[in-house]
Amino acid sequence: MGYGSTGKILRVNLSSGAIWEETFDESFYRRYPGGKALAGYFLLREVPPDTDPLSPENLLVLANGLLTGSPIPTTSRFTAAARSPLTGGYGESEAGGYFGPELKMAGYEAVLISGRAASPVYLSIEPGQAVLKDAGHLWGQNPDVVEKQVRSELGDDRVQVLQIGIAGEQQVLYAALTHGMRHYNGRNGIGAVMGSKNLKAVAVRGSKAGLYRELASAPQDLAALGQRLAKEVKNHPQSWDMHEKGTVVMVSGFQAAGILPTYNFHSGGFDGAAKINLDSIQQELLDGRDTCFACAVRCKPKNRSGGPYDLNADYGGPEYEAVAGFGSNCGIDDLQAVAKANELCNTYVMDTISTSATIAFAMECFENGLIGLKETGGLELRFGNVPAMLQAVELIAHRQGFGSQLADGSLRLAQTIGGNAMDYAMQVKGQELAMHDPRGKVNVGLGFAISETGADHLVSIHDTLLQNPDSISFKAAQALGIKNALPARLLNEEKAATYFICENWVSLEKVLGLCFFGPAPRSYMQVADVIALVRAATGWDIDLPELLRIGERATNLARVFNIRNGFSPADDDLPARLFNPLEGGALAGVAYSRHDFAIAMAELYRLKGWDPISGMPSPETRERLEIADL
Amino acid sequence: MTTISLRLGGHLSFYAPEKQSQLTLPLNQPAGLADILQGLGVPLGEVAIASVNGSMVELATAQVKPGDKIELYPPMGGG
Repeated sequence: MGYGSTGKILRVNLSSGAIWEETFDESFYRRYPGGKALAGYFLLREVPPDTDPLSPENLLVLANGLLTGSPIPTTSRFTAAARSPLTGGYGESEAGGYFGPELKMAGYEAVLISGRAASPVYLSIEPGQAVLKDAGHLWGQNPDVVEKQVRSELGDDRVQVLQIGIAGEQQVLYAALTHGMRHYNGRNGIGAVMGSKNLKAVAVRGSKAGLYRELASAPQDLAALGQRLAKEVKNHPQSWDMHEKGTVVMVSGFQAAGILPTYNFHSGGFDGAAKINLDSIQQELLDGRDTCFACAVRCKPKNRSGGPYDLNADYGGPEYEAVAGFGSNCGIDDLQAVAKANELCNTYVMDTISTSATIAFAMECFENGLIGLKETGGLELRFGNVPAMLQAVELIAHRQGFGSQLADGSLRLAQTIGGNAMDYAMQVKGQELAMHDPRGKVNVGLGFAISETGADHLVSIHDTLLQNPDSISFKAAQALGIKNALPARLLNEEKAATYFICENWVSLEKVLGLCFFGPAPRSYMQVADVIALVRAATGWDIDLPELLRIGERATNLARVFNIRNGFSPADDDLPARLFNPLEGGALAGVAYSRHDFAIAMAELYRLKGWDPISGMPSPETRERLEIADL
Repeated sequence: MTTISLRLGGHLSFYAPEKQSQLTLPLNQPAGLADILQGLGVPLGEVAIASVNGSMVELATAQVKPGDKIELYPPMGGG
């Protein structure tokens, strides 16, 4: 019986080959209880400002959340973090699946990897033993081959293999990590960092399936909560929906609402939406659902193999972001091609959002004559051109031809192209927007602008969930202290206050290892459930204010990291296009208000306790959050 | 035509009699959309977007007539 943690971290220096363990105590863990908080703490302490993200001096952090590996649905996530090569700031990406729980069963809360190996290696972790092994024969191989080979070499089919793909080897700035070819740490280019270290994979095998219960303070309470929540998953409309329909249900919903990103965010409505929506996916692609550790939601889509593009079912099916990204936002209504683009990204292990958004950006540049066949090497990158889109994905992953420029993301490519290309680059801090249009849900815009990771749609709660006082989402959110339901397009100081509370809550989710599809107000797990889970796991007499402060602390660690790396309030902005009216769809004519944005951001800075000139959390804020010594 | 077509997007179909997303309901004369939903057991608080024949409508006041094609969606929060 303990406080839910093994108290152990595995350290690896790839330059020297040194591997060792470190321990931490309970008081440290209560301040930084996993995931985003642990990652922020170590990056802030150990990565000096202006460290080249692709140098040996960058630190790669793989950190479990406090609840990762617990026998509770939607608690399987872990954080992969480093200084991002895409943004130059704090880089982070979460994934569910099985790697995090397996790492916990091997006895570690986190793995910290520094240095650079002289030649490709992979790290094998078992309880009490971690070794580096040659990966020269795995370099250039795709995940299915690598996973099979590593498992064969280690003599255990249950080894979880977290790996980069060819995109990570090529240091595509938005390269990702995967394990199981289903679970991806997609954003911020963490795969490029891992590739720069000559680290092909991290293989982990735990020995104690029941370790989490042994470590928990109140294992019987935890088990009872797990049983109740597993039933709740099936009886709650939102988690039921995720199981039945998955994320792609949003295509039709956003189309009807006028916020389906189309033609590089020119429009919120796509004429071909019906060809890429849930109905079409169910008819043409879907072949069941997969899941993550201990999760009864089972939201992961499985594809059928075959079809006109010879789809490979091993790499899952497209989620909403890929469908909108390669579909409507690139002007493509060929669902099979969209699925192929998703599969290629998964095969080469790179972020579907940044890949598709960078291609959409290049398409607009091509359509407007800023680049031509000469620059693209003969690629006619027009909206709707399926062969060109698929070819671009291939070129990016291998950094071939024009793909090498696309592989650096839309911001750098816009700088290279010059002219008014920057007007077409839908990015913040160098990271491309996810497929959510803030003109129809304004707090998503605040999140895009202020997030330490660049444009990120998973940093707060989307306004649409909190606009109706009679909705189950709003009723659940009241437990967080949100008092009034506000219209989705209203942007004012009260909306900023709602954003602030929700940002701290979502940040906490990333500390605890919770899936976005677990907790209220997005889904079935109530605020009181989350508190009860943490109490049962840790034995701490912890309350909501302390939990929200943990989330706020994690955000501020990343913020301090960014300011020390040269970011300022000027970087907390949105692409100019969003301040122009939508040109099509049900919200045609609606723009994001620059005036209201300024008011809301000023209020948000005040609530956060950030200096409006430097952007740095004030000394009082750092004192309040107990990070003044970092 | 004496029916209407009703699409229950997202988790709205959770409340349908057989949890189906697509329903065809008998309707002989114009009626309030909210009344129809209440009759089905769909909580009005869960409906964020309502459209009739492709045009967005206010749920509280919308009237539908035989032959209409109705789409309803709950709030969708990303992910």
